[in-house]
Amino acid sequence: MDFLQTYGFLIVTMLQQGLLGLSLYFPLMAGQLSLASPGFYALGGYIAAIMLTAPQFAGWRDALGSWIFPVTWLFSALASAVLGVIVGVPALRLRGIYLALATIAFVQILQVLSLNLSITGGAVGLFAIPQAFGFVDRWQYIWIFLPTVIVVLLFAHRLQGSRVGRAFRAIREDELAADAMGIPPTRYKVLAFVIGAVLAGVVGAMSAPFLNTWNARQGTFDASIAFLAYTLIGGSRSMWGPLLGGALLASLPELLRSLADWRLVINGLVLVVASLYLPQGIVGALGRLRRKAPPQRPVTPSTPALGDTP
Amino acid sequence: MTGPDLFKGHVLSKGHAAPSVPMSAGQQVLQASGLTRRFGGLIAVNNVSFEVRRGEIFGLIGPNGAGKTTLFNLMTGLTPPSSGTLTFGGQDITGFAPHRVAGLGIGRTFQNIRLFKVLSALENVKIAQHARTHAGLTQGLTGRDRAEERLVDERAWALLDLVGLAGRAGEEAGNFSYGDQRRLEIARALATQPQVLLLDEPAAGMNTSEKGELTSFIRRVRGEYDLTVMVIEHHVPLVMNLCDRVAVLNFGELIAVGDPASVQKDPKVIEAYLGG
Repeated sequence: MDFLQTYGFLIVTMLQQGLLGLSLYFPLMAGQLSLASPGFYALGGYIAAIMLTAPQFAGWRDALGSWIFPVTWLFSALASAVLGVIVGVPALRLRGIYLALATIAFVQILQVLSLNLSITGGAVGLFAIPQAFGFVDRWQYIWIFLPTVIVVLLFAHRLQGSRVGRAFRAIREDELAADAMGIPPTRYKVLAFVIGAVLAGVVGAMSAPFLNTWNARQGTFDASIAFLAYTLIGGSRSMWGPLLGGALLASLPELLRSLADWRLVINGLVLVVASLYLPQGIVGALGRLRRKAPPQRPVTPSTPALGDTP
Repeated sequence: MTGPDLFKGHVLSKGHAAPSVPMSAGQQVLQASGLTRRFGGLIAVNNVSFEVRRGEIFGLIGPNGAGKTTLFNLMTGLTPPSSGTLTFGGQDITGFAPHRVAGLGIGRTFQNIRLFKVLSALENVKIAQHARTHAGLTQGLTGRDRAEERLVDERAWALLDLVGLAGRAGEEAGNFSYGDQRRLEIARALATQPQVLLLDEPAAGMNTSEKGELTSFIRRVRGEYDLTVMVIEHHVPLVMNLCDRVAVLNFGELIAVGDPASVQKDPKVIEAYLGG
């Protein structure tokens, strides 16, 4: 257990940041560069923190016991979905860098709100958030974050192979052509945006007990840029990219701790080198080494022959 | 699996195919009246009225910049008209979004090929079946879309067979030759199961023998899928050989409509092409 005592917090943080990288990946599947994730992450965290500390929810906590934690995830997911639709419908009329800017503004608005509302604890924030499921050590959060990573990867995998995933890809490649082929772009862009929002919100709700306190520093412009860096470095065309990018960049400051202040320089260098030499990210570069197997034609004796149909 | 049965009788096409309006041969499918589109001071399409009859191959010709592609864009919802109306099978579809127009049964190709270039040929054709299928997020995630997915796959392969690209199904569309990309775009448009197919310069970049093949291909597809075809084409012999009727645009105005032989003799058309 020494290893977990030493590195458990780091490993959980890597998984958590990987998940946040993935929250950018879903809108990117439909070609939408959204930097709204920190906003939903902060929102989810606040919802969990309030439900876990506010006296108004004492009755819930007593009644639900440990079930209160999944309930906070659920509420955060619902709130993120609703807010995602409200923000997504107008924001997704914007393209490219304009959408990115609008979503940054959204993050800023939420941050200002959380600094000024009393329910979010103002500038001090909320603290003494109880540990999830009576965990006594930080590394135990691996039992929350690792299954979540697996579920999200399975979700992304199934999504990619489905009709909805194809619609996302079509919009990413050429929105106008997708439209002309019968795909309503707005509906699918909002859907992709909301999936990312829900993921970020749930990760926020999971992170509030993990970090013990929650305040306005959780959803910032800096976080937007950090998450963007995850997808740039890891690669935005495969679900493994943002996960790897998030895990890698989250671990860098820790691994380079001995370098003291130089670690920020190294961090910056990694970003520059990666964007120069790995334009498709690490996973994109690895993917080019692998030859894809040609698609298999289905064997279909069931094909209705001429005149066979009723 | 080629032939007229490709879509008909499929489990999926029941109730999900483009709502087919009862129309007998020779009846009008599309009707444009007074279609106009201004871009600032330029009138790209000026008060154009015509009708397309069911089952015909309707050619649209005219000098460069005459407004042919703009007219296609007006008809498929990519550009909203400044004024005028468009009806399809009796329904007013003026101002409909492109995906609605496609869903109703008007498919198209693009002059400047707009395939999903980094996606495989197979995937291009699968994507275009979107409006004819309906698995949502939950069906896709829980695997309840399996039956539908199998049919999507079968149809996609059959369409690639039709255009002779099944052997290269896994290759990225962007790697195909110009002619093959045009063929793939036709397959993709057919995957939307259109009643009316709009082809924007399908022969551009093809050599003479390919053009000959294209002519018989378009005729064959029209017959097999019971289509009405509208085609923009510069190559006059191809148009004369292929089309049942031809419309001529010049500076955004429709200057002649009729059978190829009479349009060719029309003094206004001769003037437009030779300059006056």
